[in-house]
Amino acid sequence: MIPLVKIVDVEKVYKTGAVTFAALRGVSLDIADGDFVAVMGPSGSGKSTLLHLMGGLDRPTAGRVEVKGVVLSALDETALAKFRRAHIGFIFQFFNLIDNLTIQANVELPALLQGGRDRKAVRRRADALLERLGILDQASKHPWELSGGQQQRVAIARALINQPTLLLADEPTGNLDSVSGQDVLRILQEFNAQGQTILMVTHDAAAAAQAKQVIFIRDGRLVEAMPGRDAQQIAQSLAALTGT
Amino acid sequence: MLAVWQKIKADVAGRPFISLLTLITIVSATMLLTLALATLLNLSQPYDRSFAELNGAHLWLYFDRAKVRRRDVERIELLPEVTESTGIQYSVTSRVQIDDTRVLVSIRRTPFQQPQVNRLLVQEGRYLLSNQTEVLASRDLSDLYGLGVGETLGVTRQDGKKVTLPVIGLAYNPTWDTYRNTQPPYLYVGESLFQELYPDEAIWEWSLGVRLANPEAVDETLARIEALLQTDAVRIHTDWRDVKRSANFGARLNFIILGAFSLFAILATVLVIVSSISAFVLSQFRQVGILKAVGFTQAQILWLYTGQYLVLGWIGCPLGLLLGLLLSPLPLKNIASSLSTTFQPPLNPWIVVAVLVSVPAVIVLATWRSAQRAAKANIVKAIATGAEAPAKKEAWLPRLAARLGFPIPFVLGLSDVFARPFRSLSTGLNLLLGVIGIVFALTLNETLETYKANPPLLGIPYDAIVTRGATGDSRVQYLLERAPGVEAFYGEHRVDVETLTGETFQVRAVDGDVTDFPFKILAGRAIRPGTVEVMAGQGLLDWLGLSVGDELTVVLGGWHHRPVTWRIVGAYTEPVNAGQMAMANFSTLARLLPDERPAIYYLKLVPNADTALLKRYLEPRPESDLNLTLAGQAIPGVVVYLQLALFALSGILIGIALVSVFNTSLLAVQEKLRVIGVLKTLGFIPSQVITMVNTTAGFLGLLAAVLGLPLGWVLTKSALAIMAKSYGFGALEVPLNVLYALALPLLMIGVSIAGSYLPGRRAARVSIVNVLRGE
Repeated sequence: MIPLVKIVDVEKVYKTGAVTFAALRGVSLDIADGDFVAVMGPSGSGKSTLLHLMGGLDRPTAGRVEVKGVVLSALDETALAKFRRAHIGFIFQFFNLIDNLTIQANVELPALLQGGRDRKAVRRRADALLERLGILDQASKHPWELSGGQQQRVAIARALINQPTLLLADEPTGNLDSVSGQDVLRILQEFNAQGQTILMVTHDAAAAAQAKQVIFIRDGRLVEAMPGRDAQQIAQSLAALTGT
Repeated sequence: MLAVWQKIKADVAGRPFISLLTLITIVSATMLLTLALATLLNLSQPYDRSFAELNGAHLWLYFDRAKVRRRDVERIELLPEVTESTGIQYSVTSRVQIDDTRVLVSIRRTPFQQPQVNRLLVQEGRYLLSNQTEVLASRDLSDLYGLGVGETLGVTRQDGKKVTLPVIGLAYNPTWDTYRNTQPPYLYVGESLFQELYPDEAIWEWSLGVRLANPEAVDETLARIEALLQTDAVRIHTDWRDVKRSANFGARLNFIILGAFSLFAILATVLVIVSSISAFVLSQFRQVGILKAVGFTQAQILWLYTGQYLVLGWIGCPLGLLLGLLLSPLPLKNIASSLSTTFQPPLNPWIVVAVLVSVPAVIVLATWRSAQRAAKANIVKAIATGAEAPAKKEAWLPRLAARLGFPIPFVLGLSDVFARPFRSLSTGLNLLLGVIGIVFALTLNETLETYKANPPLLGIPYDAIVTRGATGDSRVQYLLERAPGVEAFYGEHRVDVETLTGETFQVRAVDGDVTDFPFKILAGRAIRPGTVEVMAGQGLLDWLGLSVGDELTVVLGGWHHRPVTWRIVGAYTEPVNAGQMAMANFSTLARLLPDERPAIYYLKLVPNADTALLKRYLEPRPESDLNLTLAGQAIPGVVVYLQLALFALSGILIGIALVSVFNTSLLAVQEKLRVIGVLKTLGFIPSQVITMVNTTAGFLGLLAAVLGLPLGWVLTKSALAIMAKSYGFGALEVPLNVLYALALPLLMIGVSIAGSYLPGRRAARVSIVNVLRGE
């Protein structure tokens, strides 16, 4: 079976003046369609870099990133942007909603960018998502009028409006209280249960435990992989990795 | 304070691009301010300045040669009221040939060194050189007949031979005036050439210019001089105060328009500094939060930012001042020339102090206000968002655009206009000033073109003028009645008259039917032949407080016991003497002017008349007594300079607007990096990012054009209406070219897009990863 995401010998080196920093060193990884993968590791280990490469936000220094059979590094800026809007959904730690757009407009934005000429259909899709996430009554408000948890739900709705091939979540619970965090994880699990492929970067073992698979990364290398579900085991592995 | 100072140094040196941008803004704004102030300096009291520098004569006396001797002149020079004199000035009034036109001029013997009293202001070319066969022409000959330096003119010598003389310069005489005067324009030739042209001293006319101890005592001095001499020995005289009035009057249009533009430029300068610097400070919002978090007090933050921009101000201000001083002669020499005055170098202590004080003051003001806003911000929010919160609610216009299905980049760009209202307002105002400037210049240009194409609007209802010398009036009338291509004509004799309350003005006493001519009648109707009617220039009616239907009673010199009363039947556009003239039938004055007949004839020609044939008919020989001049349509040099100055200033205003758009777009991009990163993550392609940035600027440009077009037109119309009234011109037609009206919004959108293009490209190249990592 062809994996949905295929990462082959990927290296990523950042250069700042005379200083070079290897964020990823020969990472190879396959993610199957419908999988829910959590990426864990200490700060600076390269987990966000991995997420950026998979999302086509950055290009590898060496190696290959394929999503749904498309080699991302072969695409130019415009093609990459179009690929992102069609196939990738992003959720960020700080929500990154557009302040002066309403919740409705924020959610509809990627669909309109994708060329959703039928505005009524776009509206129906947005409303359905907002309703499912329990925030339809907030649709006419602005992001700053909502709580953190509500804002993250909006971000999830925005990420899912185009029914992406891959949903990338970078510390989605990192800026939320525990109740809201649990809430967000439950939503992600629900979508995954319906077939949505998810890759989530997190520091939180409890959050990682919601994934089907957890991979650990240190100094730019994949060092361990294990099934999710067991938060205690994940926490121990993370502690061993970070030496705490 | 040491910490503050160290941070100032680190900020200025550590952000070279922003520092350079700020420096460029300050330098260009200071340069513009210097240019604007220098323009105002050159506009102030132009006549007084040139009169003082040229040591102008307060009183010119034109003598009846037969009634004055050298001893009489010496007695005048010895009067206690007279402090200096030009000595006797010799001249001969003659016709010269300029292209196809013969023009009456006063050819004057002139020393090879500029005299002590009443020096000439050489505005183009050079002064006379010793023993050269050349001529220095009065500036008016250039304005009236298009005579330029390097061209030649034909002069008939006393013996009848014709010589051709090169024009080596154009000069302004501080005591020459046509206003209520009959002095022809001057031509200055060297002493030896004058002698060669007119060897017989008996035909030389005498005049004398004197400077007075009390310049205001012209009338008293004149009375004393006249008392010394035979009756009517002083044929005519020129009072410097009349020339000043006339010069100031002529310069008024330039003064108002250039003054308004300078004020625009100053306002634009302030706006560009305020908008740029306040935006620079606000773009450092996160840093303010961090500084407060590490213990900077609000006062220290104020000092930090004020210090940063003051340091840049202290570097940029002298540089801009220097640039302004160096560049100012380029436009200002022409402006000074158009005002008939000397160029005033702007290295003036007042300008230097004004610039060096006001620019840093504006910088402090802009920085202080913005730094205060930043310093008062919540630390956590400042660090988290990195920017002052924009206007949070989406404005109605982007919402409407979204509802109408406009593309997303367009909607978001539109939304940004309302996100920072102050910034948008200041940038929009800069653009608006540019638009008003352009509309001003274009409308003025269009008005001039309209009037040029339709001379009757200017009070020139005739096609040609014929003047006579020795030929009798009846002979001329006989010739004109039979002249080829002449449809109608009337003769004119100008008469000086005085109202019963002492106001003096000139009346055109016309012999013929003026109703055949398309006079621009502002009210009532034209006079009919053989009636005791008068039509008055609007300026005369305004001046005397009369209106159509009133009676006008005047007396002629020496005929105080026989006043003439006319009924005012109409008001017309009078092109000369500020409209303070009237037109009456010659027959009503004939009894008071038994020896006078018209000497100038105005002709209306049939359509497509053969003017060459007419010229051959009236002037069969080069030395013919009659002289035909076709009605001139040349725009005076002054107006051309003014138009050039207006277009140059409009260009500068647009340049400022461009800088402003560039600065604000760049800062907006800097401030919105996070949002741009997010949008790119969501799938914005580079061209959509550029479109978004361009839309914000383009909308401001469009708005500026839409508001500026009617505003500029109304302002221009009002300014020209005021000017027309003061020129006694009546209502002025101020057309607005539809093409310009349509093209201007496109131009402004273009300018705005040009200004925001580079910032847009920068935004499009933003690395998403770097932006997200910044979190």
